[in-house]
Amino acid sequence: MNQEAVVRVEVRYWSWFKDLAGVDHETFDIVAGNDLGTLLRRVREKHPKLEEVRRSTLVAVGVEYQPENHLLGDGDEVSLFPPVQGG
Amino acid sequence: MLKHLLLTRDPIDHAALRAGRIATPTAGAVLEFLGIVRGSEDGAPITAIDYEAFDAMAEHQFRKLFDELERRWPRVESVRLVHRLGMVPVAEPSLWVEISSPHRGEAFEACQWLIDEMKRAVPIWKRSISGA
Repeated sequence: MNQEAVVRVEVRYWSWFKDLAGVDHETFDIVAGNDLGTLLRRVREKHPKLEEVRRSTLVAVGVEYQPENHLLGDGDEVSLFPPVQGG
Repeated sequence: MLKHLLLTRDPIDHAALRAGRIATPTAGAVLEFLGIVRGSEDGAPITAIDYEAFDAMAEHQFRKLFDELERRWPRVESVRLVHRLGMVPVAEPSLWVEISSPHRGEAFEACQWLIDEMKRAVPIWKRSISGA
């Protein structure tokens, strides 16, 4: 039986998404090679309130916006936040 | 193109910023924009806005916008932008933008574009504060 490598990513929540998640950051252990969409499904299962704002959620890995097929690696920092409001 | 960016918790001293502008013989248009905190939000009175930023990403996204601005308006000579974070009282500026270019057309276009793109891509959020 193949053993799947596990990597650890940090998920950070910004603005009022911190209230929806109840934390400002947490770690998830995922299978190496999983994409962002797979992680987001787990995040939303854990925090159903984030499912309700799915359509307006912005997602970044590090300091770049990334699509759901972006592959995650060990130590990646994933950020979830609502629409931005600078100015 | 001169590019200057500052995210700061301090009040924006736009007189000092203006005094620090480097005049050139080719910049016939200098456009300065101030974004000021209004005293109401969605019709309700407020006393301040508390701005939160994902600083590292905000700086990165601003730098990308500056590079794209340079590509779109290559004659723009300088862009300087200051965004205040933390608590900004009503009637004080939260944003200062200055664009210098040979002619006013590209300065107005570039400034409008930059602020529109900031509101689309730069991770800064606001929370209205009301009451004493």
